[in-house]
Amino acid sequence: MSSGLSVDAVDGPGGEEKPPEDPEAPQQLAGRSPTRIALGRLARDKVAVVGTVVLLILVVLAIMAPLICDWWNIYPDQKDPNAPTPSQMLDGNQLPSFGPPQYPFTWDHPLGIEPQSGRDNLALLLYGLRTSLTVALLATVFSTVVGVTLGLLAGYAKGAVDAVLSFVIDFFLSFPFILGALALAPIITSRFGGDQDTLRRAELLSLVGILVLFGWMGLARLIRGQVLSLREREFVQAAQVIGVPTWQILFKELLPNLVAPIVVAISLSIPAYVAAEAGLSFLGIGLTESPSLGKTVNSAVNYFERYPLYLWTPVVTIMIMVIALNLVGDSIRDAFDPKTRR
Amino acid sequence: MSEHTSFEEQVAQTHAANVLDPDAPAVLTVDNLRMYFPVKSGGVVRRRIGDVQAVDGVSFEVPRGGSVGLVGESGCGKSTTGRLITRLYKPTGGSMKFGEHDQDLATISDKEMKPLRREVQMIFQDPYSSLNPRHTVGTIVGTPLRVHDVVPKKQTLSRVQELLEVVGLNPEHYNRYPNEFSGGQRQRIGIARALALQPKLMVADEPVSALDVSIQAQVINLMQDLQREFDIAFLFIAHDLAIVRHFCPEVAVMYLGKIVEIGDRESIYSGAHHPYTQALLSAVPDIKQATTGERRERIRLTGDVPSPINPPSGCRFRTRCPIAQEICAKHEPPLLQIGKRHKVACHFPGRINQPPSSPITAGLLGVDAQGSPDPGASPSSDLTDQPGYADTWFDLDSKSFGRA
Repeated sequence: MSSGLSVDAVDGPGGEEKPPEDPEAPQQLAGRSPTRIALGRLARDKVAVVGTVVLLILVVLAIMAPLICDWWNIYPDQKDPNAPTPSQMLDGNQLPSFGPPQYPFTWDHPLGIEPQSGRDNLALLLYGLRTSLTVALLATVFSTVVGVTLGLLAGYAKGAVDAVLSFVIDFFLSFPFILGALALAPIITSRFGGDQDTLRRAELLSLVGILVLFGWMGLARLIRGQVLSLREREFVQAAQVIGVPTWQILFKELLPNLVAPIVVAISLSIPAYVAAEAGLSFLGIGLTESPSLGKTVNSAVNYFERYPLYLWTPVVTIMIMVIALNLVGDSIRDAFDPKTRR
Repeated sequence: MSEHTSFEEQVAQTHAANVLDPDAPAVLTVDNLRMYFPVKSGGVVRRRIGDVQAVDGVSFEVPRGGSVGLVGESGCGKSTTGRLITRLYKPTGGSMKFGEHDQDLATISDKEMKPLRREVQMIFQDPYSSLNPRHTVGTIVGTPLRVHDVVPKKQTLSRVQELLEVVGLNPEHYNRYPNEFSGGQRQRIGIARALALQPKLMVADEPVSALDVSIQAQVINLMQDLQREFDIAFLFIAHDLAIVRHFCPEVAVMYLGKIVEIGDRESIYSGAHHPYTQALLSAVPDIKQATTGERRERIRLTGDVPSPINPPSGCRFRTRCPIAQEICAKHEPPLLQIGKRHKVACHFPGRINQPPSSPITAGLLGVDAQGSPDPGASPSSDLTDQPGYADTWFDLDSKSFGRA
């Protein structure tokens, strides 16, 4: 928010300037929607730009994980026939035979090798990043859809529907998340626990399910409150007088007015889900089969004196990712809501 | 605003006050309309502990292509009446007969209401909240066209541009957002949206009270032009008496959910017989008097409007009325026709500061002057509470029903 709002409102520099045409041309008259104004503001926010670049790098790394591992000739697990066996990588103390902590840095394994299993740390990190982002994105998408829909319904319906939905929201809010996750995760997982591949997918989906189950209420409540105030605005009554069907009032009249709080909620819930996934995996109730940053932290805690690099890489990665997501989220909120100033 | 007409042209266009067409058939007949909003207690079991009697037995007619003004102070139920007619609320009781088929808007289901929504439209008070800030003008004005399939999809844009031109906006502005327009322009957009369905009846809920005075005239003139061009009947809700006088040949005055006086422009503005109407009119500042230094009698009402949850017994205005007597607390005055097009609900109707000494309604109601039952008197059967006007009326001078 370095530049003043008045400048943006008229015509911000750096926006898509069309080449000068006939001044009467109709496209020159095109209005800028509030969303576009917000995006223009965002583009001039240095923190947001830096945060976005960091996030983009992390996302690209996660997407390219298989390619990078192929090119580097490193493997996240021993199932691959080309992967070195643990005995090739580890010495008698189950510590790596190459690189840190006992030997100098080697480009073959820039972040070292995992003790006990002999897997490459860089490969684990990349695939862990992949898992983290997948889980966080899926959980965010589903919880947003559920939260927005139920929030819209509760706010617009009033009466009994609102009372029931509000009770459900309060019920889930008061339910202890960790306890629920502890109880539910093994149950869901055991139902699908066949071979490793289905187990891995079941684990991932059940983790997403648990995160969604305990993550939609905040947004639903927020949306309900917003709808309660919006529904009394005259443009909603105008739509009712015109005879616009209710679902169109909800999704075409009200929803566009809720873009700002939804975008803000999304941008702040992604880092929360990243942290929750890592936390649950650290506790051992998240992912056991797929690589995960939280799981790596869990096994690295035992080596924090002898092999600090092993612990620091996943911790620092999670930290950078969560901080970047939060800063970008903050900037998005500021851009969409001109009333907050830093 | 004036891209299309020069200043001279605008000045040349006369916008005389609307005239009454006494023979026009009614497009809307409202009869004994009531709206009670329940008041609920707190706690787990929310019991109904009372009602806000926002509108309590309102009857009037809106003639085809004409306009009826609805005036009164804040909270008197005039906006609620407008919202009942557009069915933003479902009325508690009464009927609202609309159109040639006399369909009752009060009891009709939401599904049956949908085709009728094309006929009854509304202009809102606040141009800053009546337009969706996230939609372009094209979307806003095009929504009624889309919802009711008025024109084929491809022609929506050209129709929207036509409508924008009709209300005096640049048709090229269809892809702009409401925040880029001034208040007057926004109100024009709201009018264009209401006009899109070519309604027969337009409920204008204080359409100009949020606008600058210089813009008010433009918007009023625009509505007058549209009314003549498209033959739209207006229910004009306002608290500005000067504007209502200009726009509405017929005026109803409301107080606390009831019509206290209704009549044509002359009867209300020059011959008001209800003390509340007189008080309202005397509150209007008069420039002529200010310049001549002449002093005019002002009726000052004291106290607050009573709560519509617990309205006063008898006449609702009696707590603030300068001429109230005992009978006013005991009996509600009937809406009595006292002229060709003039009805008043008061026990002591008269010219300003000349109320009759005894309640003229006492005999009609079958009570004595104090409001106690009078075994000798016979209640009149001529007391009707029909919307519209009868051919015979109660003559205040001869104190009997008859024709002038």
